[in-house]
Amino acid sequence: MSEVPLIRLADVTKVYNLESGDFVALDHVSLDIMENEFVAIMGPSGSGKSTMMNQLGILDVPTSGELFINGKNVAGMTNLERTHMRRDIIGYIFQKFYLIPLLSAYENVEYPLILKYKQRDMSGKAAAVLKSVGFDEDLSAHRPSQLSGGQQQRVAIARALVNDPKILLCDEPTGNLDRKTGFQIMDILTGLHKEGKTVILVTHDPKIAEYAHRTIQLEDGKVVAS
Amino acid sequence: MKDIFFDLSVRSVKLNFMRSLLASIGIVIGVVAISSMGMLGTNMQLIVKNQLTAGINTIVITPDVVRAEPGSTSTTPTGITESQLRDIRDAAGTNTVIPIDRTNTQFSIGSVDGRGSIMGFDLTDMKNIMNVSEGSTPRGESDAIVGATIASRFNLKIGTRIKIGEPNISATRPVVRVVGILPTIGMSSSNGINTDNAIIVSDTWYSAQFGGDNVYDQVNVNLKDVSTLSAVETAIDNKVNRNKDVVRISDASSRVTSVSSTLSSLTTFILAIGSISLLVAATSIFNVMMMSVNERVQEIGILLSIGTEKGEVRRMFLYEAFILGIIGAIIGGIMSIVIGYSVVSAMIGNTAYFFLPESIIYVPAGMIIGVIVCIGSGLYPAWRASNMDPIEALRAE
Repeated sequence: MSEVPLIRLADVTKVYNLESGDFVALDHVSLDIMENEFVAIMGPSGSGKSTMMNQLGILDVPTSGELFINGKNVAGMTNLERTHMRRDIIGYIFQKFYLIPLLSAYENVEYPLILKYKQRDMSGKAAAVLKSVGFDEDLSAHRPSQLSGGQQQRVAIARALVNDPKILLCDEPTGNLDRKTGFQIMDILTGLHKEGKTVILVTHDPKIAEYAHRTIQLEDGKVVAS
Repeated sequence: MKDIFFDLSVRSVKLNFMRSLLASIGIVIGVVAISSMGMLGTNMQLIVKNQLTAGINTIVITPDVVRAEPGSTSTTPTGITESQLRDIRDAAGTNTVIPIDRTNTQFSIGSVDGRGSIMGFDLTDMKNIMNVSEGSTPRGESDAIVGATIASRFNLKIGTRIKIGEPNISATRPVVRVVGILPTIGMSSSNGINTDNAIIVSDTWYSAQFGGDNVYDQVNVNLKDVSTLSAVETAIDNKVNRNKDVVRISDASSRVTSVSSTLSSLTTFILAIGSISLLVAATSIFNVMMMSVNERVQEIGILLSIGTEKGEVRRMFLYEAFILGIIGAIIGGIMSIVIGYSVVSAMIGNTAYFFLPESIIYVPAGMIIGVIVCIGSGLYPAWRASNMDPIEALRAE
């Protein structure tokens, strides 16, 4: 395994300029995440979990400090380079699934392939990935609104996986699911970790966090345990 | 390759079908306004121009103002002489040359006195260039045909006798008999002669009464081909005016140019009025596009966060504006032909020029302008969508 961490936060601070004054969401955080780790990020609400996810997902840049992902300094990248990195290196799995409502289940999975290769998928990869997460093939043509929560999250995972990313960022992936379906989804994520993915999981459910091999505890924007 | 962003736009339009259709109606109205106004103006121009150019194929030659030579007692004849006429005929080639005598005089019909112009024409010329609406062209020397205005004012009929000349000069005034009545010609006489107020007699009768035998007041050259106008004018000028200017050569082309340019500004003006409706359409498209962007904030957030380029998000919304524009333009184009035809036929009463390229071009032109206006209206909403912060956008409900 590589000695260079896949993700490195070096003294990262994120400050939001609010009307009520500056709010420090991340306070001098330093952290390394190696390839093929399974990390849970925990903490009470307002502790900086979401801000951390936005940083790791390159949706935002630090106010100060340095963030390296896959060996690249995020602050030095152009907007387009960040967009391409989100597309190619990171797979996102959200609590609310965030599927594209106008596209069918199949098209939602095919979409990142189209973004990357600028053409429709002829390889059958989208269908194969959908099948691998246990999605019922008969539902491929359904729009997200016609699917159950568990089915939607399977589609979302398939969408996150289809461009073969190194990192899977999961923001409360079971938060909108019943207990049983939640554990099914966690089993899928565990399997993906075994296949070599780096899985980062934000949750406040200790039962879910137990799946991870390392837990990072956040409080008031600081890492209190890692 | 089928573009997924185009697919997304089509689906968005379908999803909000009613709203999209209503916005497109604005474009339909705009396209119809531009096209039919443009066609109305163009048809008007074409018709007027054609009426005017009917008279432009005539070159009018009149004697020039001649200064008497110092010390010379001979008065220069105030007319075009027989030898000058021969020169004109030579220079005019195969075009028709018509010498005309004309004067203003008094005349009487029974006890009613009047005043008008008397014109003398060669009998053969008369037969060739004049189409009477009633009766026939003169055969005898004392036969006359009269213009429409003079005929209606003095209630002239075929067979009416007209005494020509001032009553106090001659006790026995010469008499002509009306054998034909000309139709109203108005401004656009096809041979450059306004006969509405004239009594037209044979040149031999005219010379006998008014003198000036072998001298003409005016010579018209009717061209077979309008494009030879300046060449023929130059030839006549070189031949007749070779020593000094003895005749003045003129035509109506400058009048046509000035009327055409007036009508062209008028067309521009009504087109501008039509464009106002497109401005209104642009506002409604803008409104619908902003609604579409605002309703899909979260979707835009999803697209951006999973790696969609800004340009791709922009493209998706511009496609949507384009689709609205195309729908509006196609419906508008079809309606333009129907409405434009009705407007032209109702307001001008002549649709002979409607399908000419100069006129019908306003349909595709209006359609293209409609689509461009739509895309233009979508620029800001598309820009706004593509520049959203994905984190903020994802949080929107």
